[in-house]
Amino acid sequence: MTEFGPSSVIVIVNSLAVAVIVVLVGVFFARGELSVDAPSRRQNIGEFILQFFVSKARDIAHGPQRTKILQIVTPFLATLFLFIIVSNLFAMLPLPIVNRPPTSHFSVTLALALCAVLGTLAVSAAVKGVGATLKHLVWPNPLQWVSEITDVLSLSLRLFGNIAGEYMTVALVLLVVPFGIPLILHALGLIPAFVQALVFTLLTTSFLANAVHHEEKKAKKAQASADPVEDGNLVSEGGLTS
Amino acid sequence: MNQVWLALIAVMPIAIGAAFASIAMRYVSTSAIDGMTRQPEIAPQLFTAMLIGMALIEALCIYTLVVTLVISQKI
Repeated sequence: MTEFGPSSVIVIVNSLAVAVIVVLVGVFFARGELSVDAPSRRQNIGEFILQFFVSKARDIAHGPQRTKILQIVTPFLATLFLFIIVSNLFAMLPLPIVNRPPTSHFSVTLALALCAVLGTLAVSAAVKGVGATLKHLVWPNPLQWVSEITDVLSLSLRLFGNIAGEYMTVALVLLVVPFGIPLILHALGLIPAFVQALVFTLLTTSFLANAVHHEEKKAKKAQASADPVEDGNLVSEGGLTS
Repeated sequence: MNQVWLALIAVMPIAIGAAFASIAMRYVSTSAIDGMTRQPEIAPQLFTAMLIGMALIEALCIYTLVVTLVISQKI
């Protein structure tokens, strides 16, 4: 779909591989030496990002399986966000080979959206069971599975359209004015690069909230006073930092 | 001459779509900023809701962009 610019598969695979390597190396670098008493600057930045996703996951996690949902959902959201924002920022690099952001190719965003929606179904199956998840696709509305397909389409087309439109604008302006003006466009392109990564993650969060929603009413009735859920801190439980 | 008319027709969807999407985004942003100035303490939650609402509106505009790109390939 919509080929333009240096759009061979090799370019996409190159920038995709570089994005994966950047995210992996950055995360391993940020892990560094962790300490509770005197956290370093890198650790503060990493904890700031992690805390955002822990709070987002806490908003949707209720019921007796709260800790399990937190431990599944938080790394999922953080991985999506980090990978998408690193991929979006690739248009800013002054390097010839990896200049094109991987998310400006439709197959990459389609794969990301499929990961998000299939991951939502997997979380739903892990929390509510496979039968309840499959039943939710056709009950009470027999066409409810269509909404999963439109979720995939809307997520992937939104990310693709924003990033590819930005990239195409810069490429067209470069043909006319090679100096000066593209810098302003790049600076403006920082905003959708961040906002689209955030929007992708937030929409995945709302899908996940729908996926784990029905379970809590039954659970509240079943064990209303059986065992009160501990209001556990995810980081102190050693779920993510171990 | 025929090519020029085809090109004009091909860019019509994104022009109309962007115009109406900007009108819709105006309502979302004015309401959100109204709410933020009235109650600054819930500004982060309002900002998140505004971002999601704007993304849903923007998706329709992006659909027209994709349709425009597909049509412009055919010319």
